[in-house]
Amino acid sequence: MIAVIGAGPAGLAAAMTVAQNNEQVVVIDSAPRPGGQYWRHLRKVEGYKSGRSDKYFRALEESKKIIYIRGAQIWSAVQSENAITLNYLAAGIESSITVAKVILATGAHDRALPFTGWERPGVMTPGAAQALLKGHNVIAGQKILITGTGPFLLPVAVGLAAAGAQVAGIIEAHSPLRWLRSPVALLLNPQKSIELIYYIRKIYQYKLKVSFNRAVIAYDGRAASIATVDTELRIKETVSKIDCDVIAAGWGFTPDVTLGGILGCQQVVDRDGTVIFAVDRDQRSSATNIWIAGEATGIGGADLALVEGRIAALSALGLAIPARLRLARYRLQKFATALQVSYPVGNGWQGWIALESKICRCEEVSLGEICASVSELSANDARTSKLFTRAGMGMCQGRICSRNVSEIIAKQTQCEVTEQERIGYSNRPISAPISLGALANGIK
Amino acid sequence: MSESTGADLSFTFNGDCYEGAPGQSIAAALMASGVRELRTTRFHKEPRLIFCGIGVCFDCVVVVNGVANQRACLVEINQGDEIVSSK
Repeated sequence: MIAVIGAGPAGLAAAMTVAQNNEQVVVIDSAPRPGGQYWRHLRKVEGYKSGRSDKYFRALEESKKIIYIRGAQIWSAVQSENAITLNYLAAGIESSITVAKVILATGAHDRALPFTGWERPGVMTPGAAQALLKGHNVIAGQKILITGTGPFLLPVAVGLAAAGAQVAGIIEAHSPLRWLRSPVALLLNPQKSIELIYYIRKIYQYKLKVSFNRAVIAYDGRAASIATVDTELRIKETVSKIDCDVIAAGWGFTPDVTLGGILGCQQVVDRDGTVIFAVDRDQRSSATNIWIAGEATGIGGADLALVEGRIAALSALGLAIPARLRLARYRLQKFATALQVSYPVGNGWQGWIALESKICRCEEVSLGEICASVSELSANDARTSKLFTRAGMGMCQGRICSRNVSEIIAKQTQCEVTEQERIGYSNRPISAPISLGALANGIK
Repeated sequence: MSESTGADLSFTFNGDCYEGAPGQSIAAALMASGVRELRTTRFHKEPRLIFCGIGVCFDCVVVVNGVANQRACLVEINQGDEIVSSK
């Protein structure tokens, strides 16, 4: 049997491909409902091609070849001679399943950058605002400011506006003219231009105010301070204040590589510093009988994830992969590269933060404390600094802050963050917190 | 999948009564009622609401029916739940 981990676009495409070829597949997902982070509709939400998830959800419910285990958090995995055992926690009970092959489609979460006041209630990721709306029918606040960088800000803003939210504006850190650096990617992906035109029309329809080359650099609980920034995100000048009670700030995405890391799948650092898995042209990882698809092999969006999911499934089934799928992946990977070129996240954000602002939200460690660990306690790398300050050692296991802490230490010590350090802070020995009690219950 | 948008579950948060719809998370139901603080932090006693909203950051942890460290953004409300802020 083949197990697919994750029920987002990549996982659903993989599962449906396996089922269509008359093989048994088990889909294990941590959420109570399918769709991953992007396809999480409780009801119809306005957005480009928002109905295309329907056939996958139907297959999950109806196909006799698909076993769907929802609400199950895999916390560890072990590979033996010819099998892979996945240990998961569902409804407080520890269980395990042993399969021959695994397709990992574990997705990604928003990358967050700290700014002065980002600890305040109301500051959240665009993913959070979208999850509240799509998954729970709740508009995050009275007046929502969308900020950060990248095209994902558009569906979030349009979805909120269409649902009746007051959107205070979209503050994009880069200029759309940066797309001119990637003419080949644009020519290869005309459907992406159509999608963009769709969102531009919606922006006009809902009269959304979009500004470029700007960022939210501070929030006092009532108003966001907006500054013009250069391409490295360094502040040029503070230009205005915008009243809002929610700031949804997102700076690209961080893939979840923990489970593949535990299974020994080789990781590499992408050109933008993101840690991803190395896969071959059939989406095969370095570990035997493990394939990986979607954001964990490079951030590229739902379209690329769907194609990669299908390729991974065909390869896992030992079937031929049609040339048109490989071509589709090539086109979309070119587009993914263009995204990185168009929306880089430089280190200028370090100039936005007051010394007393927290960098590690869990352990409440401030920028000043991290800097002092270098200047006064002679920490010369992030690991030593973390031991002094506890930054990155809280409940989120460093998922939110560890990259930012490493970038801060690198600047303080005038070094570059090494590839080894990036892979180090992206991995953890256990992929989700689990209590010893739950473990003991499973053994009984 | 529930299509209901009506609030027909009741629960308490720090002793006050709230309502929510089936399938809604604790955080969503409370935010829909205007709650802006799910907990205070351990060291500086600062208010926190949700942050990542998808179970990654653990910023929204609350105590649900006596079980600590539950992520309010993930855990769905049930009739009669007693929820209190983590301190």
